[in-house]
Amino acid sequence: MALEDPFSILEKYLSAEEYVVVGREFTRVDALDKALGRALFTEDYFIRYLQGNALFIKQVLSPHPHALIKAIHVDEAMGVAGVKAVVTHRDIPGVNQVGYALPDQPLLAERKVRYVGEVVALVAAESWEKAVEASQLVKVDYEPLPYVLDPLEAMSRTDILVHDEAGSNIAFKTRVRKGDVEKGFAEADVVVENEYRTHHQDHVYLETEAALAIPDSEGRITIIGAAQHPHLARDIAARVLGVPAGRVKVVVPYLGGGFGGKDDEGPLTISKAALVAYLTGRPAFIVYSREESIRIHPKREATIIRYKSGARRDGKLTAIDVTIIHDTGAYANRAPFILWRATMHASGPYEVPNARVDGYAVYTNKVYQGSFRGFGNPSIQFAVERQMDQLAEKLGLDPVEFRLMNILRPGSRTLTNQELDHSVGVGEALKKVAERSNWISKRREFDAFNKAEKRFKKGIGVGVAWHGISTSRGVPDWSNAVLKVEKDGSVVVFTGIVEMGQGSPTSSHVQIVSEILGVPPEMVRVVFGTSDAPDTGATHASRGTGIGGIGVEVAAGKIRERLARLAGDLLGVEPDKLVFREGRVYPRDNPERYIRWVDLVREAYARGVELSATGYFFLPKGKFDDTTGQGFAYPAFSYIVVVSEVEVDTETGVVRVTRVWPALASGRIISPLQVEGQVEGAVAQGLGYTLFEKLVFDERGGIVNADLTDYVIPTALDMPVVEKPIYVEDVYKYGALGAKGVGEMALIPLPASIANAVSHALGVNVTRLPLTPEYILQLEGVLRR
Amino acid sequence: MKVSFKLNGRPVEVDVEPNEILLDTLRLKLGVTSVKRGCERGECGVCTVLLDGEPAYSCLLLTAQVEGREVVTVEGLRGDELAEKIARSLVEQGAVQCGFCTPGFILTIYAGLKKGLIKNVEDAKKLIEGNLCRCTGYLKILKAVEKLLA
Ligand code: FES
Ligand code: FES
Repeated sequence: MALEDPFSILEKYLSAEEYVVVGREFTRVDALDKALGRALFTEDYFIRYLQGNALFIKQVLSPHPHALIKAIHVDEAMGVAGVKAVVTHRDIPGVNQVGYALPDQPLLAERKVRYVGEVVALVAAESWEKAVEASQLVKVDYEPLPYVLDPLEAMSRTDILVHDEAGSNIAFKTRVRKGDVEKGFAEADVVVENEYRTHHQDHVYLETEAALAIPDSEGRITIIGAAQHPHLARDIAARVLGVPAGRVKVVVPYLGGGFGGKDDEGPLTISKAALVAYLTGRPAFIVYSREESIRIHPKREATIIRYKSGARRDGKLTAIDVTIIHDTGAYANRAPFILWRATMHASGPYEVPNARVDGYAVYTNKVYQGSFRGFGNPSIQFAVERQMDQLAEKLGLDPVEFRLMNILRPGSRTLTNQELDHSVGVGEALKKVAERSNWISKRREFDAFNKAEKRFKKGIGVGVAWHGISTSRGVPDWSNAVLKVEKDGSVVVFTGIVEMGQGSPTSSHVQIVSEILGVPPEMVRVVFGTSDAPDTGATHASRGTGIGGIGVEVAAGKIRERLARLAGDLLGVEPDKLVFREGRVYPRDNPERYIRWVDLVREAYARGVELSATGYFFLPKGKFDDTTGQGFAYPAFSYIVVVSEVEVDTETGVVRVTRVWPALASGRIISPLQVEGQVEGAVAQGLGYTLFEKLVFDERGGIVNADLTDYVIPTALDMPVVEKPIYVEDVYKYGALGAKGVGEMALIPLPASIANAVSHALGVNVTRLPLTPEYILQLEGVLRR
Repeated sequence: MKVSFKLNGRPVEVDVEPNEILLDTLRLKLGVTSVKRGCERGECGVCTVLLDGEPAYSCLLLTAQVEGREVVTVEGLRGDELAEKIARSLVEQGAVQCGFCTPGFILTIYAGLKKGLIKNVEDAKKLIEGNLCRCTGYLKILKAVEKLLA
């Protein structure tokens, strides 16, 4: 069945003469239901179907940054009328271990607590009020321990250990060794060296974490809950319960945003609900208040990045020497993966012959580090792109010109010495966006403006970024989907990809099926977010369409091969010469001699042609050497360039971003409307991160601003104009129809582009985020540091 | 205590606690799931309802306060021409992503248009400032309003 080989299917649809659904305007199928308030989110299922039957779960949190748990007294809490269970680590029937990368994290604290906000117990009661009341009666005897909050301090101390068994507070290290760094710096005519700092950001998905667990009579449990990878959530819950994975089913309904946060916290939320349901035999519902959400779930990490780079007078980069320190907080969670990503992107999308990069993920007694749109990449691209601007300045080159001299192109070798053979459109994107934004004349115009004007200063800055698609270091990754054609011709697809706002299952997947099988979108239904679908991997890393869509494409491609053979027989035409379009199948040269899709399907059923298929595809990868950080890092990179224009009020220190020009080299654009939405949304989230969103910690590591009054996110008034993105469709041969991924992209270079624009406006060296009025005034020398 | 008010055109009577917020009454007791819970302190706008035609955060209202008044949610605007136009425009412009905030935006925009408070995009921007959206970056929401004004 060579025709059904996934590689030939991917090749076949990579470059069609014409796409009729893909790349065109398309209304996502879930939009109207959501607008009219008919779409159900996790808590809505509870309200509709299980209220009055399900127990409420309230969490008991640690008030200490670091303390031994001497005893937990539950009797008084159990005595409250309506309380059905107080669950602590002792009650966990399976394994109290939920760390994704390292086995360092309990679901419920055991032996000691490591941050203010760590979950120690769960109280389950018939009513919310009783659960809250009883949660206050759970008495924990703590023996406070000395704690450490600053990552630099934590790195150098062993007398205070966040994890005693680790013997050090360094949770994980990474490194890259390429070429000869000393020689590289000796060849450099200019060298720039800085220390950069970035801060914690909260996701603020408007829907907080929630899960509803329903036990059934046969010892199985179904959980409807907010997560980004139903299979992972299922596996973690099964481990905690000590039952085979097949006994747990996870369904992820519509999510009110995810941004990575629900990828980390989702399986834990789901496990908590599952645990209570399992122990009590009752349905159980957990929902985090906004305050709990901010206190408990992992954050975009704070970082310290020391960066030295050199270049020759002819504009060529010669060497980089980079140290990356991540404030990992209490648990490793996905810190090693985040650190690897930061490490392998530490050169930016440029050719660098000599490189030394060292990364450290450092435990501290604070809320821990986690997945957040960009995954360790925005902070390192901020450092890279600040360096690039300063090198250009020292060399007397225009920042864009200097970048173009070093930019990756087909045939280039990356930081990890991986050769990029195709799908490298970043240079073209940079050229085009510089042109579109009138880069050169704007730079000059603003320089002149700033000379004449005292109070307001204008700046324009560029940020270029790359983002490896799929998992780092050749770690196995795959796509899958099950597709079936029903007797009436309608098509049902099962995928584990979730719908969290990005629209892959409700837009791009539908478009792919509609394109390949030629059926109208109304006939396609994508069942998403269920662990009953084959494992499709997580909906993170911008992979919902680019990788998640491969399974859909391959499955649809297989069905099309079968139906093309059948239609070829019926019409007496070569299968290759057939067109599938708008519910008809016909020879390319004779559209009038068609067979209707529904009739073709009926024939297939009558003649024994199987109309169900799986779309399994295992991404080809290469070898990577962890000790040198050299080798195959990612199957391909998605690229983006962002130019930002700012206006700074030098009296108040307020920065206003006025306009943003994005240019994507992300392969095929399947759904332009959704891509624009991802870009604009990422600009908003990135703008908040760059200008004002910042978690503030007290002297005990507790979060001071754990509400939306004090942790402020952008409103409509903060938004700049975002120009229509420029697309360089540098298709990737193993992406869905050549797509690489967009979801995270605009957030990655945005902080850099704004920082560069502010540096340009004020003639200063921005090295820290966020760009608060206070920091701006310090840079101006008005305020002392 | 018993509270009576008009919900989406129909009279309702509910038994509530004196400190019960309207958001809970609507969601938990009356099954109105389009009104969402996001912060419970008047910061996000996903709990927006129309109270006597004015947008209001239902998390900041005690149910007791709406005695005798009129509460409208998107469920109550089914068949309303203006509301359907707004919904369609949001859908067409790609202004709906996760959708958690969308019913709240529809109500705010509906009230604004009805009262003639939105003459241009700038007016719309100011009006929707009290509704947060973490997904769209607001631009497509504003574009949807702009299309309606045209
Ligand atoms: S829930 Fe009412 S404003 Fe956020
Ligand atoms: S669409 Fe997700 S919060 Fe607005």
